[in-house]
Amino acid sequence: MTTFMGQPHSEAIGYSFTQTASVPIKEHSFYPYTDNGGSTLGITGSDFAILAGDTRSVAGYNINSRYVPKVFKIGGDDETGDGAHILLSVVGFAADGQALKERLDAVVKMYKYQHGKSMSVGACAQRLSTILYQKRFFPYYVHAILAGLDEDGKGALYSYDPVGSYEREQCRAAGSAASLIMPFLDNQVNFKNQYIPGSGEGHALEPKRAEPLPRDTVERLVRDAFTSAVERHIEVGDGLQMMVITSAGIEEIYYPLKKD
Amino acid sequence: MVGHGMTGMLGEDGIHVDMNHLKKGEVNLGTSIMAINFKDGVILGADSRTTTGAYIANRVTDKLTQVHDTIWCCRSGSAADTQAVADIVSYHLNMYSITNNEAPSTQVAAALFQELCYENKDMLSAGIIIAGYDPRHGGQVYSIPLGGSLHKQPYSIGGSGSTYIYGYCDANWKENMTEEEGIQFVRSALQEAIKWDGSSGGVIRLVVLTSKGAQRHLYLPDTGYTGPGVTN
Amino acid sequence: MAGFDFTNYNRNAALHAKGVPLPKATSTGTTIVGCIFDNGVVIAADTRATSGPIVADKNCEKLHYISPKIWCAGAGTAADTEFTTALISSNVELHALSTGRPPRVITCMTMLKQWLFRHQGHIGAYLVVAGTDVSGPGLYTVHAHGSTDKLPYVTMGSGSLAAMSVFESMWKAQLNREEAVALCAEAIKAGIFNDLGSGSNVDVCVIENDKPTQLLRNYLRPNERGQKERNYRFPKGTTAYLNQKIISKEDMRKYVTVEEASGDPNLMEVDM
Repeated sequence: MTTFMGQPHSEAIGYSFTQTASVPIKEHSFYPYTDNGGSTLGITGSDFAILAGDTRSVAGYNINSRYVPKVFKIGGDDETGDGAHILLSVVGFAADGQALKERLDAVVKMYKYQHGKSMSVGACAQRLSTILYQKRFFPYYVHAILAGLDEDGKGALYSYDPVGSYEREQCRAAGSAASLIMPFLDNQVNFKNQYIPGSGEGHALEPKRAEPLPRDTVERLVRDAFTSAVERHIEVGDGLQMMVITSAGIEEIYYPLKKD
Repeated sequence: MVGHGMTGMLGEDGIHVDMNHLKKGEVNLGTSIMAINFKDGVILGADSRTTTGAYIANRVTDKLTQVHDTIWCCRSGSAADTQAVADIVSYHLNMYSITNNEAPSTQVAAALFQELCYENKDMLSAGIIIAGYDPRHGGQVYSIPLGGSLHKQPYSIGGSGSTYIYGYCDANWKENMTEEEGIQFVRSALQEAIKWDGSSGGVIRLVVLTSKGAQRHLYLPDTGYTGPGVTN
Repeated sequence: MAGFDFTNYNRNAALHAKGVPLPKATSTGTTIVGCIFDNGVVIAADTRATSGPIVADKNCEKLHYISPKIWCAGAGTAADTEFTTALISSNVELHALSTGRPPRVITCMTMLKQWLFRHQGHIGAYLVVAGTDVSGPGLYTVHAHGSTDKLPYVTMGSGSLAAMSVFESMWKAQLNREEAVALCAEAIKAGIFNDLGSGSNVDVCVIENDKPTQLLRNYLRPNERGQKERNYRFPKGTTAYLNQKIISKEDMRKYVTVEEASGDPNLMEVDM
């Protein structure tokens, strides 16, 4: 990381104005990662969880495809994903995302065959962390979000860093426009920086309490988050893929986004 | 955006200069150019491809540039550098003809080109062939490769595509060709260079310089570089 | 007098050597095009300005005035295209005044290339120069290093490949005004939709010899902002504050002119 403070332990001058006479050695290296851009977002409610992602895949200034899904059903009965009770979204390097999804899908299926029951979301979340950490020194270059319903039927959402550190959360945005969407979510889902008008003076002012939002509100928030991200981030666009998991199953919704 | 300090100019010995460097994103004339003497004067020829990396920025470029009535040059290397050099030479030759009330000789033009290319060798990537006709010396061909040296030659080839046609030209070259033979020689040599060199392509442009003045020719790929021929 | 200020060059070089990143310039990762037609020339541009992957301006102007009959489309570093065209515009006007003749496109192009060559590519301006003069319509491209090309149709910027694909498949000799405008707009649209550095709207400028120049700002708007589904107006008092000071309009009138705005005073002005 670069900082303005310089090295704390060394006061040696780290630069020189003299021209180096030698030609810098050209080093050719193979870099296996690409950033395919895009953004994902997950929000939970009292009895549902939503995972969403835009469907654009990019490489540099080029569009690879206008429809590449980033949200997947995990542990379904067949290739359509029917019967699944867990959702996974992956953003970052698409090839790693695809590989990770295939791995987790196989693991959840094997669990069902071996134990004769479906894997719980909590167990799946822990397993995903393990899968990611196993590649600690050659990571899956993705930001994953896992969603489902917990033992109490409440919406469950787990977000991961590329090497397996994870946390259960109410909401999470990931990918290239995460820095644009996350503050919006903090404000609109957890009501950060919102106070109850007239509840007190100065420090006594009472913060607005966060409570689980109804599904309809969350769907609208997700669409608004993405239509706004599309306006200001060049890698986000084309389409919005939303998956809603409830006790009734998984519902998939597609919504077109701007294509510029 | 801002680059600090140039790199890659001097080699480890501090003497050898890397001539093939191009500034990042610069427009390049990855070219096939040539000029020959024939019985009545000179013929200049060039392909028409300009590239930025793998992209063809201009597929109908005119690399044959007039610097005086019957003194022309073929440009290869950086488009910006060679255009600037040709513009400066053109200005000086114009001034020369006004102050001396007489057209400059091809040698004067070539010397001017050399002055600029030699004195600014560390700034330029320009490989230029100068060809001209003047009544005193007839047709003459000069070549100035990257370092800024000047060579008077019976014929000269240049640019990335020229490496493919050294053998062809050596085998088919004749002194005192007729205009038809000369045109045929240049056209088929360039056709071969274009065929093998990926950085060369498009149309073939020729300029014939004789006592009658300058005459342009054009040969299109759609007809296998057979026509239309004279365009003025 | 003229020229650049290098006061902080050594300081910045030292900071950079210590690992401080260079400031990010707004770049117009752009699509710009130009096309000659029977009686004049048309140039067009998209309106997106970017800073890295972030859209810095959704509706910027990339068509720059040089003289009444010479206009320039700019790609590359935004500041460089703006200042370079402004400088050359100024010099072109002085030149026209001293010669007593309307300026020529080739004069403008030559001034631009000499200026850019002198700065060895450090001024990141990539320009399409277009206009009409005594010799008829003229169309040129000028690269940052100072090289120029003269062509009947041209494209530049990050979307130039997408735009050129339209020209290479649809261009024909002897276009009329309407056909040329439509072709240029189509080329820009190819850039807008296929190049991430380009986006939003299409600006067009038509220059004809015997008619006044027309700047068709936002000639096409193929990317209108969608309606938000929720209302994000907060009730008064939502934001915490530690103290307040109220300056009345009457107090302000002592120093400045205060005009009453029309419309709902609770509504915020949202851009675009």
